[in-house]
Amino acid sequence: MRRPRSVPTVRAKTPKTPKAPKAPMTARFGIVAAALAGLLTAGCQKSTPTAPAPSAASPSDAPGAGAKPIRIAMIAKSSTNPVFLSARRGAETAARDLSNKIGIPIEVMWLTPPQEDGQIQAQRIAQAVNEGASAILISCSDAGKITGSIDDAVARGVAVMTFDSDAPKSKRFSYYGVDDHQLGQDVMAELAKQIGGRGRVAILAGNQNATNLRHRVDGIKAEAAKSRGIQIVGTFYHNETPQDAAAEVIRVNNAYPDIKGWAMAGGWALFTKTLFSDLDPKKIKIVSVDALPPELPYVEKGLAPVLLAQSSYLWGNVGVTKIIDKIYYKKEVPEIVSMDPVRVTIDTLGSWARQLRLWGFPDVPEEYLKLK
Amino acid sequence: MSVLRPLLRSQQAGLVLIILTLVIALSLLAGSHVDATTGHTVNNFLNSYTLIQTATDASFIAIMAVGATVVIISGGIDLSVGSVYALAGVGMGLFLRTAGPAGGAGAVWLAFVVCVAIGGAAGALNGAMVVGLRVHPFIITLGSMWILRGIAFVSSKAESILLPESLTHFAKAPLGLGAALYPIPMLAMLVVAALGAVYLQRTVMGRHVFAVGGNPEASRFSGLRLGRIQIGVYVLSGLTAGLAAFLGASFYGSVSCGDATGYELYVIASAVVGGARLSGGRGSAINAMLGAVLIVLIRQSIRTLHADQNYEWIIIGCAIVVAVVLDQASARFAARRLAEGAH
Repeated sequence: MRRPRSVPTVRAKTPKTPKAPKAPMTARFGIVAAALAGLLTAGCQKSTPTAPAPSAASPSDAPGAGAKPIRIAMIAKSSTNPVFLSARRGAETAARDLSNKIGIPIEVMWLTPPQEDGQIQAQRIAQAVNEGASAILISCSDAGKITGSIDDAVARGVAVMTFDSDAPKSKRFSYYGVDDHQLGQDVMAELAKQIGGRGRVAILAGNQNATNLRHRVDGIKAEAAKSRGIQIVGTFYHNETPQDAAAEVIRVNNAYPDIKGWAMAGGWALFTKTLFSDLDPKKIKIVSVDALPPELPYVEKGLAPVLLAQSSYLWGNVGVTKIIDKIYYKKEVPEIVSMDPVRVTIDTLGSWARQLRLWGFPDVPEEYLKLK
Repeated sequence: MSVLRPLLRSQQAGLVLIILTLVIALSLLAGSHVDATTGHTVNNFLNSYTLIQTATDASFIAIMAVGATVVIISGGIDLSVGSVYALAGVGMGLFLRTAGPAGGAGAVWLAFVVCVAIGGAAGALNGAMVVGLRVHPFIITLGSMWILRGIAFVSSKAESILLPESLTHFAKAPLGLGAALYPIPMLAMLVVAALGAVYLQRTVMGRHVFAVGGNPEASRFSGLRLGRIQIGVYVLSGLTAGLAAFLGASFYGSVSCGDATGYELYVIASAVVGGARLSGGRGSAINAMLGAVLIVLIRQSIRTLHADQNYEWIIIGCAIVVAVVLDQASARFAARRLAEGAH
């Protein structure tokens, strides 16, 4: 069985009346005013396609001045989830670095919907193609809904790569991410160790429609089935927001006071601080996927002694790199590019915290940066 | 000019002008790119792919908005359309998986019938509860919104259910337009809006809906059977949600209990932007469709102009509030002028 890496070095394996009244026309013109005013306002806050050169160089000095830019549409699951913001940062950094290297401007078009919605993602794939994207990098909220759109994009000459959550039946050329079933097994194996191989545990599962999360849950259950002392009280779905997740944990804990552990398919609940006061580290242990800055105090306090981190920054960074390999260098890219999870414990907290800071996370607690 | 005047005074003229203005502005500002397959330079907005795709995006909301507009004209509200959509889709997916034919035209017809039947039944349930329990439709449909989505959740076990390919082939039939151009949802939207307009403007039943929404007491004293009319409008709303579910699910190839979450707000917003009055008695099916197109166009413009995606909700929210406030101000102004004219 592939084990999570114990050292958090952060490199991926591969880099009124019946008569109908007339509607007043003037009112309708108000919409124009509102829409245009809004657009102008928004336009002041242009999304930041990655500039090829960060310096104040003149256009003629910029890499590949005059060259046709490579535009990569990035469609993550939701723009309110910090892991995807980190992925975006990784993609933009890779785009800037590669742009300087190959001398052609590379833009990252951020087309992520505000909330998870497979249908909206499918629409945005079509939009990206219609607006001349060279490639698409997507994490699928609902593979079934997106497969057709990916195939349409590929048929129109646009390379598509998935990350984090795959659409395996589509014509995407590659997927980059963890093996979710294995990751689920790793979570359960770690939790079993923490609770001495015996006790009732619960699974926090996030969005029930996300294929990758379902695979993790399947992995958790498969691993639990190997251990006769472990009993799963239930699998609990919720909106993927920190508050909803934490509220679900508290509700379940009240309903099952004898729970000894939580296997979490994602770290949503640990983005809040509320579990510190609601759960007793002496009685309950959590093992979760993800290890973002807000989750680190749970490692320090021992409530979540092990976190299995996905290097979310690398989703974007490696994703863009592989896309350039494919469409610019014409290299063969493996169909599955595997990402190993990083095992974050109290022993590796310092190095992981420093890595997060290097990746641009501003909210890493200072005290962890000083740890060994 | 004599030909133009009635057109300009029509109910739809304002919305059409706004949409055209946005289309022109976007075409001018969108920039262009070289098409990967043809090598031709194409406008990022004014191209057949983007225009049909925008209409497709609007179509599922617009079809539901036509049904919702009928409910709003009657003085009611239907918050459950998104859940009806999800339940109809999931019901259709489960039915096809267990009992339906694997493919072909039979699967398409069966899917259509199942979706519309579930939508109609859900609408009838809403209408019966509104009339029978005498509870405000906001509360009834708020409750059914959760109940119906819960049923979809439990029955699908939260799975995403893949549909037979024949459904996708139907919904994505290019009808001779060429690869990756799929006009079926757009055509369905136009047909539903036209049927809605005929129903509301040209049938006795449609006029009754305006009468009930405009003045329920007067309608009652006129001998109209309010209960039957109210149940009827919710059935219509359910039917359109079922139809939208059939088209949406077929187009995207799968169904899940999370489908169309939050769409009820887009649907109601489309009706309101289209001039429907929430207190009843006013609204138009064609305008509801145009309202949906406008909202989707605003959403599209944010992307076409590469504006920050995070402003989407703010912009759409502002557009809706401003539209309704100006609409009310304009109605007050018109009423005052009418009163002055009478003196």
